[in-house]
Amino acid sequence: MNKIVKKLLIRAIGLALVVLPAYTAGGSVLIKNGTILTVTKGVVAKGDLLVINGLIKEIGENIAAPKGIKVIDASGKYVIPGIIDSHTHIALAGTNEGSEAITPEADVGEVVNADDVSILTALSGGVTMAHTMHGSANPIGGPNVVLKMKWGKPSEDLIVHEALKTLKFALGENVKQSSRTITVGGPPPRYPQTRMGTNAIIRREMLKARAYRKEWDRYNKLKAFKTPPKNLLPPRKDLRMEALSDLLEGKMVARCHDYQATEALEFLGLAKEFGFKVQALEHAWEAYKIADELAAAKVGISVFADSWAYKMEAAEGIAYDAGYCAKKGVLVSINSDSAERIRRLFNDASKTMKYGGLTENEALSLITINPAIQLGVEKIVGSLEVGKQGDIAIFNEHPMSAYTRCEMTIIEGDVYFDRAQYLKDREEAAKKAEAPKKGGRS
Amino acid sequence: MHKKAYLFGSVFLILSLIGPAAADVGPTYAVKNAKIVPVIGPPIDKGVLIIRNGLIEAVGLLDKVAIPEDAEVIDADGLIAYPGLISTHTNLFLEVARPATGQGSPEFTAQQALVQDRPAETPELCVFKLIKPSKAAIDSFLKIGVTTVLVAPNRGIIQGQSVLLNLNGEKAEPMVLKNPVALHINFTTARGTYPSSLMGTIAFLRQSFLDAEYYAASQAQYAKILKGMKRPEYDPFLEALVPFVTEKKPVIFQCNNLEDIKRALKIIEEFKLNALLSHANEAWRDAAILKKTPIPLLVTLDFRPPNSSQYVNQGADLRKKAEAEIYPANAANLAKEGIKFALTTFGLNDGAAVLKNIQAAIRAGLPKDEALRALTIQPAQYLGLSQQLGSLEPGKIANVILTKGALFDEKTQVDKVFVDGVLWKF
Repeated sequence: MNKIVKKLLIRAIGLALVVLPAYTAGGSVLIKNGTILTVTKGVVAKGDLLVINGLIKEIGENIAAPKGIKVIDASGKYVIPGIIDSHTHIALAGTNEGSEAITPEADVGEVVNADDVSILTALSGGVTMAHTMHGSANPIGGPNVVLKMKWGKPSEDLIVHEALKTLKFALGENVKQSSRTITVGGPPPRYPQTRMGTNAIIRREMLKARAYRKEWDRYNKLKAFKTPPKNLLPPRKDLRMEALSDLLEGKMVARCHDYQATEALEFLGLAKEFGFKVQALEHAWEAYKIADELAAAKVGISVFADSWAYKMEAAEGIAYDAGYCAKKGVLVSINSDSAERIRRLFNDASKTMKYGGLTENEALSLITINPAIQLGVEKIVGSLEVGKQGDIAIFNEHPMSAYTRCEMTIIEGDVYFDRAQYLKDREEAAKKAEAPKKGGRS
Repeated sequence: MHKKAYLFGSVFLILSLIGPAAADVGPTYAVKNAKIVPVIGPPIDKGVLIIRNGLIEAVGLLDKVAIPEDAEVIDADGLIAYPGLISTHTNLFLEVARPATGQGSPEFTAQQALVQDRPAETPELCVFKLIKPSKAAIDSFLKIGVTTVLVAPNRGIIQGQSVLLNLNGEKAEPMVLKNPVALHINFTTARGTYPSSLMGTIAFLRQSFLDAEYYAASQAQYAKILKGMKRPEYDPFLEALVPFVTEKKPVIFQCNNLEDIKRALKIIEEFKLNALLSHANEAWRDAAILKKTPIPLLVTLDFRPPNSSQYVNQGADLRKKAEAEIYPANAANLAKEGIKFALTTFGLNDGAAVLKNIQAAIRAGLPKDEALRALTIQPAQYLGLSQQLGSLEPGKIANVILTKGALFDEKTQVDKVFVDGVLWKF
């Protein structure tokens, strides 16, 4: 980062949003005297947590600080695992390939935008990881990507390669509305225009993918012969079908946007017919109606806390959806689906205590270990355990309290958000921005 | 001398017989007493430059180079001679928009009917067919010393093929130095049709190159067998793309931001393309990745930050500063890292604005001689024309500028411009 840039950034009027953190690969830090909510291994009342080179080395009491290490005093504060948003659309250059209904070749991982200031917004709410997804315009959208909120790092460093590769599906109104020409000069009308059409087109594409795989299998078999047939030409490689093949072969899992119970069950029927894995249903406002079926099929849900009935297809949504399903054994996460709600996921999670009667720890799980499991990264993040990555958020009050506030967010031992420092920087930036104006325009 | 005059006479005669097919060669010129900056080799304080038949015949010290009798002598005392500048990416002379290929146009429907899921892209388009040279545009560029421009198509994703022009007149054919030059690709989206998103565009590019490879393989196999094999279906889109994957003809990627540079590098690597990166005004943001690749960079002098940049969405002040201070330092930062590049005028259609921006780049730390190389010999090398362009050497095309004062200095004026050996009249 050159000096002029830094100077300019600091001048950014009253915002100071782009002051980038200094970075060293895999940081080390000792957090002292905090109430450590590990999520999976109970609570350490007045404990220390040591991160060395990005990984949690020790959790306990009176840990001696290794030489030269950064020590953070967390007295009176709560130390929790970095929050994970299981469903959002931040940090992307474009969300929907809405020109066509079936676009599994369009991968949002190719268009990560590390400059999106929403990353910083997320950090300010304790979020360290987000599943940033293709939109819901298409029955089959495209692959999603899991990102760490490493603000200031190049886009490729944000991508979490250990995560499951997920493919976005969508059912219901968003697909239907996207199929219509709403604006003059907008995209032409598209199939499908109904829910039955949505189901049919997904089925049609799965059959196509099956045939595509068969064709390749046949070719590979012939090619493996001792004397392969003369002039054997491979089939055409079709990226759209390749992506669906990956799904059918289990190299990808489905994440499906749905609102109503009927369409969800139909989709699970398709998954059973074609043998692909549905990792979670998104929004799933009527999941409470089919909680037993979801639990039996080991299909998770990723939902809002309490914003029900904001449109017709959400009319039968209830605030008890998340809590009730969690108690029925469904793997539940609370998501933001938004660049704004992402900074207060802890508030949303705490609502399940009122609506659904979850305990503090169960509620906290909805935005930590549960989304980690849904994303296939529970071995590296999602709770505070020795050996896991040092992704940590520090709150001034219990994170499920209505009065809580995120003070600091740490990823792999590096501080990416420090509220006190941030406010100080912002104040200074505002002062600097004021200064030259005095002689000038005023 | 007699013989030479005779030779010149016959050349003139032949030319007048065959008409204006080639550029007007003009008289023979002897530019003397000028300081000569040949770019290749050291400057000559008081020298002579002989221009004949559109080419540089001789360059050297005043007492080493004889002035031909038939030459029109130009006393250039106090002037400095440089090779004409080259801009390797422009959209000049394209005032007339390409016929619309969006939704609703007949082309759109026809193309969609022909190949499903493919936008109406035009790799086969030679932009030469569309250019309408204008004196105003030529004057504007010659006034700052730019004598040679690459004109690229400017619509769509796979846009078509560019042409390299010497700005020697208003007639298109005599201007052509090379046609076509390269296939141009832009990371943009199609309107009202697939792909409507950047991720769709990337998938579309991949699929197109995959299909071109497959098409080439099928055609090659058919050519071998002929009898007993069903002929592969003809596809003009893929037919046009094939030379870029099989013969490795050059492809220029327009990289509108840092991420586009990374995207282009991935696709280039995947399909082993012979590629160049253009625009690249965010190259400074990650010099490390560019240091690792030998892929030529055509860096624009347009300093407007891309819309994706963190400098554009946080108030007008920051944006203005970015344009005035951060982005102009792009070339300087690359030079500091030892990364080679050519400078282009892409995005700027006015010569005066180009000069202002060259000066801003120099103020931001780009050494003047690096700026000169980046507008002369470097682009000539990238275009495979280092034998014909980019320096003042005998045998090269006589694109020569004479300036009052050092090139790129604030008060410097371009006094005379020779293009293809012809003295341009403003």
